[in-house]
Amino acid sequence: MEHLIAIFIGLLYACGVYLVLRRSIVKVILGIFLLSNATNLIIFMAGGIKRGGVAIIEEGAEVADPSLISDPLPQALILTAIVISLGMSAYILALKYRYFDVTGTHDLDQLKNTDQR
Amino acid sequence: MILFTLILLPFSYLMLGLLLKRPKIKRQLALVFASANLVWTLVVLKSVNLQDIIVVNMGSWPAPYGISLVADRFSAFMLLLAAFVFLLVTVYSTQSLDKERRKNGYFFYSFGILLGVNGSFIAGDIFNLYVWFEVMLISSFILMGLGGERKQLEGSIKYLILNLIGSMFFVAGIGLLYGKIGSLNMADISYKMSLAKENLAALNPALILIFVGFAIKGALFPFFFWLPASYHTPPPAITALFAGLLTKVGIYSMIRIFTLFLYHDFEFWSRLVLWMGALSMVVGVIAASSQSDFRKILSFHIISQAGYMLIALGFFTEAGIAAAIFFIAHNMLSKTNAFLVAGWVHREKRSLNLKILGNMFQKSPVWGVVFFISAFSLAGLPPLSGFFGKYMVLKAGIEANQIFISMIALFVGLITLFSMVKIWLEVFWKLPPSDKRLPKDTEAKPANRMLAASLFMAAAIIGMGLFAEPIGEYCSLAARDLLNPSKYINYVLAIN
Repeated sequence: MEHLIAIFIGLLYACGVYLVLRRSIVKVILGIFLLSNATNLIIFMAGGIKRGGVAIIEEGAEVADPSLISDPLPQALILTAIVISLGMSAYILALKYRYFDVTGTHDLDQLKNTDQR
Repeated sequence: MILFTLILLPFSYLMLGLLLKRPKIKRQLALVFASANLVWTLVVLKSVNLQDIIVVNMGSWPAPYGISLVADRFSAFMLLLAAFVFLLVTVYSTQSLDKERRKNGYFFYSFGILLGVNGSFIAGDIFNLYVWFEVMLISSFILMGLGGERKQLEGSIKYLILNLIGSMFFVAGIGLLYGKIGSLNMADISYKMSLAKENLAALNPALILIFVGFAIKGALFPFFFWLPASYHTPPPAITALFAGLLTKVGIYSMIRIFTLFLYHDFEFWSRLVLWMGALSMVVGVIAASSQSDFRKILSFHIISQAGYMLIALGFFTEAGIAAAIFFIAHNMLSKTNAFLVAGWVHREKRSLNLKILGNMFQKSPVWGVVFFISAFSLAGLPPLSGFFGKYMVLKAGIEANQIFISMIALFVGLITLFSMVKIWLEVFWKLPPSDKRLPKDTEAKPANRMLAASLFMAAAIIGMGLFAEPIGEYCSLAARDLLNPSKYINYVLAIN
């Protein structure tokens, strides 16, 4: 299962990088979404995958058996990372909308008006 | 509690800013909170001097499990400077920014940046550091686009995309590091790394990702392209705030992870850091000398000066790290002040193009002198702070037997001087060309608060030069703590 997800993460990264290198801003933004999701999956994988490993200490026991539970911390981290990337996505879409309003283009090559010629 | 207040102060301003409607009250509250923050960083500095390292465990969870806030001498010094710069830029922006932007939440988001910066300086947990980075970044994204002018939107898109990719590098690195080490507390990671002496190569992929993340934030050599593409687009007060605070947090984190994690594999990392620093210095300064926009020249110099901090870190001696700390402090003040002067020129002439500006010295000799002080402090003329910063870097380099790198630094200093003289001559000295259509003078608006902020900053630059001895002494103490990570580990993990 880990191998499968690792390959999947690789695919997501590949698609993300491909999209980020495109000329249209919308595609670049989609690429950013893919990259951030791939990154979230990396954090998720950091804890390893276990079937049915709920991180709750059994009643009466002092410590949980680490071979039975999966690490809950990466799940907490990924939650934070997802919320952050959601906020960023909302902002970047709003920015794109405003940019389209002002300039009427989504060609990245039009983005050089402030560069020195 | 003492560290928690540093987060609470900007946070409560954010909460009040949501409730209050009247711009005048918001502005005055911003000044009150920024001053309170400055006073509180002094308190932190004082108690750090007494206790060496302050550790606060949030929610009283013991150290490797809970989130710790840590302040040592290095972070206390950075906190003080950030608070000082922030207060002066806030005073400056009450006059320099237009009403529209002030009403639309400039102060609100600038306090968001302060919250992120304060948090990053006291984070003792690497994921927590990432979250503070994001707090800082999202506020800076909004400030970059605030006002919605066409060029601002262009700059924002470049800034936003490259910085988001930087954050992804950082957080992917954290994920992999956690998978290998099983801890997020920086002291705990460092401790576990020192136990696993021979298997450290397995950590390098994760550390490289984190390193690249910081290099993008700190605008270092192959990763700096977002900075000159965006820093000249927002209003000058906002650029000044960014120049003073944002990249410096990247460099701060770089020093922090170098002294805690990377030094374990010293051979590999120190060479990388040294050459990245040297190339940043050279590329930044040469690119700057070909520009003809006031703020673009200064933006490229940010990159070049980040290189100085990095090579001083790469020497990895007590003198070297002390020099890096001193140089960051000097650079925060001088660079911000140079941007503040650019803000005044922009206000007077509505342009920052060197070709059509001129004779500003006659218009206001005081501003001319203020620019002279900050620009030639950047170039490194005695008795200003930059001279001592560069002197310390070079001295540390020669003592560490890195003669070639030190010579590069010396040579870069010369070209820096060239760029600063160029701005001085073109903007302040020469007569404006008569044949071109000149920007008309805008009607005289008062600039007294802007000038006051800038004068305070200039006084601080001179003061840092005059009191270089005690400040350098403090930096050496901070460097000694950084070079002795077991002390940091003992304090954070409460091992006695």
